[in-house]
Amino acid sequence: MIKHFFTNIYRNFIHNKVFTVINLTNLVIGFAVFILFSSLISYELSYDKFNTNYKNIYRVQTRQEDSYPTNFCTYSPPAYRYHLMADVPEVEEVLLMREVSGGAKGSGQYFTLPDGSQLYQLNGYWSENSIFDVFSIKLIEGNKSNALTEPNTIAISETLSKKLFPEGNALGKQVVVGKRFPVSVSAVYADFPQNSDLKATYLVSMPTYPVLSGEPTYSENWTSISFDNYVLLKNGADPKLVDSKIKDAFKDVKNFEKSFPYLHPLSKLHISPNSQSDMIIGLAILSLAAILVLILACVNYVNLSLANSTQRSTEIGIKKVIGSSKKLIATQFLAETVLHTLISTTLALFVAQASFPLLNRILNKNIDFTLWNNAPLLIFIFLASLLVGVLSGLYPSLVISAYNPVKVLKGKIFSNGGNSISIKKILVAAQFSISLFMLIVSFILFNHVNFILNKDLGFDAKNILYTEINPRDKMPFETVKTAILQHPEIADISFSSTIPFVGNIGGYVTWDGAGQDEKVMISRNYVNYDFIPTYNLKMAYGRNFSQEYPADNKGCIINETALKIFGWSDPIGKQIYLEGKPFPVIGVVKDFHPYSVHNPIPTYIMFLNSNVISGSTLLSVRFTGDEQKARALVARELGNVFPNYPFEFKDFSVAFYLDAAIPFWQSMKRMFMFFSVVTLVISTIGLFGLILFTVKRRTKEIGVRKVLGSSVGSIYWQLSTEVISMLGFAILVGCPAAIYIYKTMPGAYKEPLSIAAFFVSVALVAIIALLTISYHVLKIAVSNPVKALRYE
Amino acid sequence: MLHLSNIDKYYDSKFQRTFVLKAVNMEVKEGDFLSIMGPSGSGKSTLLNIIGLLDQPSAGEYSLYDKSVLDLKEKVKVDYHRNFMGFIFQAYHLIEDMTVYENIETPLIYKGVKSRDRQAMVADLLDRFNMVAKKDLFPQQLSGGQQQLVGIARAIVGKPKLLLADEPTGNLQSVQGEMIMETLKTLNQEGMTIIQVTHNEKFAEYGKRIIRLEDGIIRKDEKS
Repeated sequence: MIKHFFTNIYRNFIHNKVFTVINLTNLVIGFAVFILFSSLISYELSYDKFNTNYKNIYRVQTRQEDSYPTNFCTYSPPAYRYHLMADVPEVEEVLLMREVSGGAKGSGQYFTLPDGSQLYQLNGYWSENSIFDVFSIKLIEGNKSNALTEPNTIAISETLSKKLFPEGNALGKQVVVGKRFPVSVSAVYADFPQNSDLKATYLVSMPTYPVLSGEPTYSENWTSISFDNYVLLKNGADPKLVDSKIKDAFKDVKNFEKSFPYLHPLSKLHISPNSQSDMIIGLAILSLAAILVLILACVNYVNLSLANSTQRSTEIGIKKVIGSSKKLIATQFLAETVLHTLISTTLALFVAQASFPLLNRILNKNIDFTLWNNAPLLIFIFLASLLVGVLSGLYPSLVISAYNPVKVLKGKIFSNGGNSISIKKILVAAQFSISLFMLIVSFILFNHVNFILNKDLGFDAKNILYTEINPRDKMPFETVKTAILQHPEIADISFSSTIPFVGNIGGYVTWDGAGQDEKVMISRNYVNYDFIPTYNLKMAYGRNFSQEYPADNKGCIINETALKIFGWSDPIGKQIYLEGKPFPVIGVVKDFHPYSVHNPIPTYIMFLNSNVISGSTLLSVRFTGDEQKARALVARELGNVFPNYPFEFKDFSVAFYLDAAIPFWQSMKRMFMFFSVVTLVISTIGLFGLILFTVKRRTKEIGVRKVLGSSVGSIYWQLSTEVISMLGFAILVGCPAAIYIYKTMPGAYKEPLSIAAFFVSVALVAIIALLTISYHVLKIAVSNPVKALRYE
Repeated sequence: MLHLSNIDKYYDSKFQRTFVLKAVNMEVKEGDFLSIMGPSGSGKSTLLNIIGLLDQPSAGEYSLYDKSVLDLKEKVKVDYHRNFMGFIFQAYHLIEDMTVYENIETPLIYKGVKSRDRQAMVADLLDRFNMVAKKDLFPQQLSGGQQQLVGIARAIVGKPKLLLADEPTGNLQSVQGEMIMETLKTLNQEGMTIIQVTHNEKFAEYGKRIIRLEDGIIRKDEKS
């Protein structure tokens, strides 16, 4: 019997090669998409779980109820470590960390490489030795018990160690951080895995912190909410109980009465770092899309199976007459379907594995996906495949096994009910609506990304280099300027506390004519005389800061958005008030984008700085001609002026592309393009199946028409009307849905909706539909009508 | 063995009832060879389908060995198809995706016959019909007469008591038709009860008894 089963399935496969290949392709696509996104979700959920104790590890975060909406801050003050968590009996281990920051505009430190060059390294932390007890970190060199207990010691990752000490044996050697601080290597640890939120490249021992930070009493600090506190709870300890014990920690801290510490589980740090559900919703939408694609593929499978079963109906009729039971026929069909889905799943695994680079490109990530070692995922996929097989085989198997042998043997089974609106048609119409919607949205996103990339920023972003410098000694800017501007390749140089796309200083101001208690949040920037010309900002009213007017250091320049808010008709000489101090306006700069083009232009006010460089600041240079040459020139001159401080010149366009909005929209665009291609392919297969079904059902009718002298054209028209009505339905559903997405799409600036996006999408879908019909019609057109009419 | 009394088969449409069979009374004894004749649309095939439990009469009684076989459960009906009757069709209705051997073997599989016994039974029939050399061919590779021989082999391999043939020679040239009829005649002589529907006067004569249907009514029932 089993052999009979499989010979049957095999012969069916051989006999209906085209059908089987189309149907399997359909399932393979559906499953591949499903597997891709299952792996992505499984990957996102796997974050931090490599820690053997992850279930007992929590980050102590800070809920600030005095901001609206409530701010769930991931950071916490160091006093948690010394005065809060250490006393809780449920706590096994406490860990205090802080990210090493090189200044306000970025975090990281420079290391001196063996060849003398500087390596900028992000993701460094101050850390206690308990990090080795809390997290599962593998030491390559050194000893877990005392790696970070002494001041002036550093533990470095394997990768960093290889760069700093290519000859190996890093232990005990000296490393100079930021050209200034010598520390000795106390341990080398294996790099943190990719799916870790904490990817520390180096760890400086916490006892070093009070010395280098100049804050010896930091352990008493309740208000510097910039540290990371982790705790490892004892086995079986209840985190809610701990929460209730620590919640009143801030009650005596002035200005922090409305802040509350709470435990956030390590396993949720990645998908919901701020106790918020944005990413969970994002993952849910992705899973929904992936499941939807799989469902579309299953619908196709059902449609195609039924279409094909008309061909097999005779066979089923015969089998019933010679003694096969209904159950046997249904079982065989079901087994065939399950076999198909299992084969498709296996193929889809390979397709998915091969498509991971594509997924990485879409997401703009570099995740190392492998399916083969993820046993739970593989089991999940095969269970899903089995379920899909049973579900999509059930309906056709019941339909097919119920065929009346007398009717099918006379070829009568599909002779009536030709024009009713069947479930099949509705499903195919729904598929078309979804593809059309996806296509239009892809076009809209495509336009939007181009719009953002090409939007006029309001300043000249070309030929600019910038660097952050952080000297401890004061340096008059004119010295730097003279040194650098002696080279004709450099057109302008300026320094400021922020530059467009890098850095942000907030503050509240009031203004002449403002109502009582009326204030507005502004972005402020402390600039020198050269900032406006360097960035080619245009003045709308008044003038730039000038050394000819000594009173300018008490003045300010506002942007047009600010002018609009302040409601002044004659801005020059009007005053704004920052922290109670008045600043007369000397000029109004035309609006430009200081931040992401995704956001509206903020109220922006520039103040004059002292023209002396001190502490962390940003230097911007506008060059003419060759960038490499300019970069080398400026680096050399700056090296002479600031011999003790490392710096690195960055291309300004890099900062522009760091604008988070751009990769986000590019990912969105690619994601939609991906899904629109997939849904289009699947709905084409669906349409193919439906038309195949129609044609099969109407073979005889078409044969009669041909004998009666009907032309191919009129048969074409006959079949087309059905598809055209489905297309009409798709337009009615897909277009408004796409318009809705456009309207609700976040972003302050959008390009007006282009009609072309709609026309092109509809045309694309229509062409594909008509090509599918044409294939079938041509097949009929060349066939012999006598064949269709035989056996009556 | 087989008894039909007052069998009606009709279709109701809006204003009238169309009879396909009307008040058919018929008795078939074991070992009989019955030919049902009649013009197109006279109800021959419907009558055969009712006898073969593929169709239900609208009214009347039908019993096999004095047991009523109307409104049977699916399971019992399948049992009759497996063990009691075999079918032959005008269009042969072989399963195209199966070889000659597999076509003949299939009913035995449904019957649950063991593999070794199946081999022997199929080999026997192949031998008897001189088709051993053709056992691995597919139906399309055979002539019409040979296909019908396979059809007969498939119908009788399960050793049914009753063989139902719906125009078995309708698609065949006369020489091949005669060969098929000779085969049926031999089977009958060996004891198998046969009911055939035919258009062909000459082939009807192979039967021991001829029933003539006209507009669903038995006009004549005579020994040949």
